Amino acid sequence: MIDLSIRLALQPFTLELELALAGRVTAVLGPSGCGKTSLLEIIAGLRRRAEGRVTLDGAVFLDSQRRIHLPPERRQIGYVPQEPALFPHLDVGGNVRYGLRSASAESNRSVAETMDLLEIGALVARYPQTLSGGEAQRVALARALITRPRVLLLDEPLAALDAELRHRILPYLMRVRDEAKIPMIYVTHHVGEALALADEAVVMRAGRVEATGPVRYVLTPKLVSSVRGDATFENIVHGVVTAIDVDAGTARLAPHVAPSDESGSPPPTLTVPTGHGLRVGSHATYRVASEDVLLLRGSPAGISARNVFSARVTGIETLRTDVLVRLEASALEWRALVTAAAVRELAIAPGGELFVAIKTHSLERLG
Amino acid sequence: MIEVDDLSILGLSLEVALMATFAILPIGVGLAWFLAGWRGHGRVVVESILTLPLVLPPTAIGIVLLTLLSKNNAFGRAIARAGIDIMFTWRAAVLASAVMSLPLLVRSARTAFEEIDPRLLGIARTLGDGPWRVFRRVALPLAWRGIVAGALLSFCRALGEFGATILVGGNIPGRTQTLALAIFHRSQTGRDGDALRLVAIVCFVALAAVYATERLARRRHAPPSAT
Repeated sequence: MIDLSIRLALQPFTLELELALAGRVTAVLGPSGCGKTSLLEIIAGLRRRAEGRVTLDGAVFLDSQRRIHLPPERRQIGYVPQEPALFPHLDVGGNVRYGLRSASAESNRSVAETMDLLEIGALVARYPQTLSGGEAQRVALARALITRPRVLLLDEPLAALDAELRHRILPYLMRVRDEAKIPMIYVTHHVGEALALADEAVVMRAGRVEATGPVRYVLTPKLVSSVRGDATFENIVHGVVTAIDVDAGTARLAPHVAPSDESGSPPPTLTVPTGHGLRVGSHATYRVASEDVLLLRGSPAGISARNVFSARVTGIETLRTDVLVRLEASALEWRALVTAAAVRELAIAPGGELFVAIKTHSLERLG
Repeated sequence: MIEVDDLSILGLSLEVALMATFAILPIGVGLAWFLAGWRGHGRVVVESILTLPLVLPPTAIGIVLLTLLSKNNAFGRAIARAGIDIMFTWRAAVLASAVMSLPLLVRSARTAFEEIDPRLLGIARTLGDGPWRVFRRVALPLAWRGIVAGALLSFCRALGEFGATILVGGNIPGRTQTLALAIFHRSQTGRDGDALRLVAIVCFVALAAVYATERLARRRHAPPSAT
């Protein structure tokens, strides 16, 4: 639990934040230059000029009134900056072990485990200059994890990577969240990453908090489009793989629903593309862009899309020229972006029943 | 033909220059590290004062040192009471050379420290290192080439030091007469050939040191080999 109330003069605005972050993973979103990195640096103790109060689980990091500024080395936080910032004079092993105070059998095991988790064991003798972006990013993450931090601060860890690498690293972050159980503050531009990883979100603009709360409520389409400058919005589905058809390159995914919604009928399983390391029983996360969710008036006969199910319209929101339709199907929420003309022709209105169709290959695996 | 006399002059000069260089290493590197991290307004003032020995006539520095060490002031008397004899001994030559070459070391080391990505220093702090450990484990290993290059330049400067040395050390053969002073002395006494021989020696030593400096500076940006 991080409580903070801080002030720091930046150019061209003053960062002024009041936050109480209790989530396992808190996503911090906002346009470039809104103060997201400064926020992480203040929590890490790297901005000496910050004023106010910062506490982590009751431990005071900063209290400018009482002239307390706990130095970074005594905060026990793990910081992964936007560019990995590996020590160029140390090899991968030296970088990962940097924060270890002594070499014991236990610490050796924890280094080996962490390097396994992030699949960097084979790189141990390589120097940072010879690593790819994704490898360097994983080494930086391992270096922070190895110190068993009380909180992990991640500054757009995937921003410098292409989509392919991003989809390879996101699963590592999910494993860190689920296996190492270290709370994270995750700065990102990417709504998909936020929805896949975080349970809580903070949206910032020009040094101030614009919205904060549970991720699904905070990241409303209006807010997201105002932050990102475009109106795409993603659907994220977490689930368990129930079957794999190797020849077809597809898998069946049974989506998870919130525990409170389990009373109703389970949502229909989805046909998704299979991928690296996917097995029956493994957990997986997929995303589909809202513009790839098709809406149909009646039950379609003869359609190539493998995922067709009925849904009830729960809301309609106009975003500039398009309309975002919110639907519910067996306790799963879906968002479809359609044109205003389509809304008129299909007579889409809250409470109405529609069919949803999603092509297998519109579903993209995140982790 | 190098005579024994030349070799002992060379030996004394190398000794003085090396001692001066080693004496200023901890001070110069410390100052450089401090200046590289200083964001305050006084930084330019301190840097300007530190640069003075580079731009003032060496004889001016010599007079300042003479005045400081004189028994007419408290500092000079304290030194004398401690039983340290400086004036007109080899120590004077070392002191004069050290003061004159300090700015070169500080400048080179400061630049090397400033070239370090500040995020690396911050990351090292978050990984549990206090400022001293960050200096030792990150700053020094990343800046050592610049520091060594600066030390070599300082060594060359110390080897060539004349004006301040002759004022506080005098020109005593076998005690304070370094290469620079001996060249002057021989030329003044009409022994130009003998002086030229010393010039050749000092050229060789200085060239070797400057060559090493250049090599270090050139490799500073290359990645270390991955072996």
